[in-house]
Amino acid sequence: MSWKFERVAGPYQGPANGVVWDGAGAAVLFSLMEEQRLMRFDPSSGDTREFRKHTHRVSGLAFGRRGELLGCQEGGRRLVEFASDGRMLMVDARLDGKYHNYPSDLAVDKTGRIWFCDPHSRTLAFGPQFFPPLDHASVLRLENDERNARVLRRVTFDTRAPRAILLSADEKTLYVAEGEPAAGFVRELRAYPILEDGSVAPYALLQSFGADHRGPQRGIEGMCLDVDGNIIAVGGWRRNGPGPSVLVISPEGAVLESHPLPADLPNRCCFGGKERDTLYVTTAGGELYAAKTPRCGFDLSPR
Amino acid sequence: MKAPGIDEITGDDPPLDVIAHGLVFGEGPVWDRREQRLLFTEIIGDAIWEYRPGLGAKRIIHPSSHANGMTFDREGRLLVAGWSKRTIWRQEPDGAMVDIASRYDGKKFNSPNDIVVRSDGSIYWTDPPGGLVIPGMPGEDLQRYIDVQGVYRLTPQGEVQLAIADCHYPNGLAFSTDEKILYVNETRLGLIRAFDVAKDGSCGPGRLFHKLAGTEDGVADGMKVDTRDNVYCTGPGGIHIMDKAGRLLGRLRQPRHCTNLAWGGDDWRTLYITSFHDVVRTRLNVPGVAVW
Repeated sequence: MSWKFERVAGPYQGPANGVVWDGAGAAVLFSLMEEQRLMRFDPSSGDTREFRKHTHRVSGLAFGRRGELLGCQEGGRRLVEFASDGRMLMVDARLDGKYHNYPSDLAVDKTGRIWFCDPHSRTLAFGPQFFPPLDHASVLRLENDERNARVLRRVTFDTRAPRAILLSADEKTLYVAEGEPAAGFVRELRAYPILEDGSVAPYALLQSFGADHRGPQRGIEGMCLDVDGNIIAVGGWRRNGPGPSVLVISPEGAVLESHPLPADLPNRCCFGGKERDTLYVTTAGGELYAAKTPRCGFDLSPR
Repeated sequence: MKAPGIDEITGDDPPLDVIAHGLVFGEGPVWDRREQRLLFTEIIGDAIWEYRPGLGAKRIIHPSSHANGMTFDREGRLLVAGWSKRTIWRQEPDGAMVDIASRYDGKKFNSPNDIVVRSDGSIYWTDPPGGLVIPGMPGEDLQRYIDVQGVYRLTPQGEVQLAIADCHYPNGLAFSTDEKILYVNETRLGLIRAFDVAKDGSCGPGRLFHKLAGTEDGVADGMKVDTRDNVYCTGPGGIHIMDKAGRLLGRLRQPRHCTNLAWGGDDWRTLYITSFHDVVRTRLNVPGVAVW
């Protein structure tokens, strides 16, 4: 049985990116990078309102352990916190003193560590380029060290363009959607075992996306988790492959379900609704889609 | 070929001395004639520096909340466009630093960039949002609250007025010698606009004064006026010099990304130029407009 997606917001100018369910507010928050805004969709009324403006190209969104809303601000090459009083706070994080690249997606674990993927970007940060990008594009993790000081650590050493990340419910596996839809890149869904010391072991390849005469397939752009431990992944495009779709992938990499999306270029997804059974999907066309599903989303946000 | 007029300004062989280097985002030059020193900011390096001819450069204020443009008020107090502090602040004679303007219509400014004082004591500054997003500029609050990118005026009575509301990215600003024109440049658009200034300090509608040309490194950033009403503006390849009709006289070519300029010395004929990584000095024949 295919999931029936309907557009509930948009289209807006430019892509819709990060999307997160705000359990406390019973609403969906999603980011519009080009419009420099965060939007709030209220499923009970169907209304979409501006939640924040002047975000300077915020992509991925997630809630931290205090319930604070975090965003990946590509325009400023940093993570930011959207404080409830309206301020925007910088999350200060440098890797061995160096500025990291362009955070695009993030996940917060039970202990408050912030995992984010840090690819390079063709769109440069605003203003003078004083800080060269890192010579790698990795998954990084912001955590407290033994002296309780905030420190940024490198997690992956074998990624070139990590696009989306997800933690398993037991936080023993890091899922990474690696690679760009461009020549010279692989496009893979990887499962890295997370070791006791916080480092990761060599990954298991769960899915791989190839290329044909029409070019590379797009691969996975965004992921979320259901309560059964499956990965809900959105990706694909109309150019080639099976088209824009939602995949339900087991922790071992089996594709359990595939649902076509009515819009091209899906970007990110999250479960929402009181029962966490509605899947929300953002698209590069600046839209928010929703579908009721028989699945239930896993998340750590307040219920 | 040189346009007539540029020779009178530069002479045949102007000197060029590097007086400070190793900076991260030099800006905000202003000559302090009492102390015979140049003050300038290092924005990302988070400091205010002084340079004393013959003695060298020294960091005198650090941290600086990523201070940007600087000038002196009518009482000789240092005025600072606090890019990350999001205020206009002043250094009192006893060294205390005091915010003198921080909000318009109840909202925090974007990030005050450059600053100039009119002879009636009112203070004008540009307020683009760049300080909220440039990497290396951590402020206490990065949220932008004001939708416009304006030029503000603090009246001698202490009222903050929105003098110009329709800018795209206002940056450098300077008055003509008679203070009847306020020049404001637009980094995004690569041009300079001229605004007629009324007696009460309000500004009329803007008109295009000059569109910067060139493909080299550099943008419309710092801007100053000399005593003959020529306009000096940073731009591609160095400092662009225009006459008061907006005609390009020539460029002071620089192999560096220039950010701002200021005249100094007893005769106001020494030109200091700040850049991303250093400060250089040359000598010109036409004095600049004295600051304070």
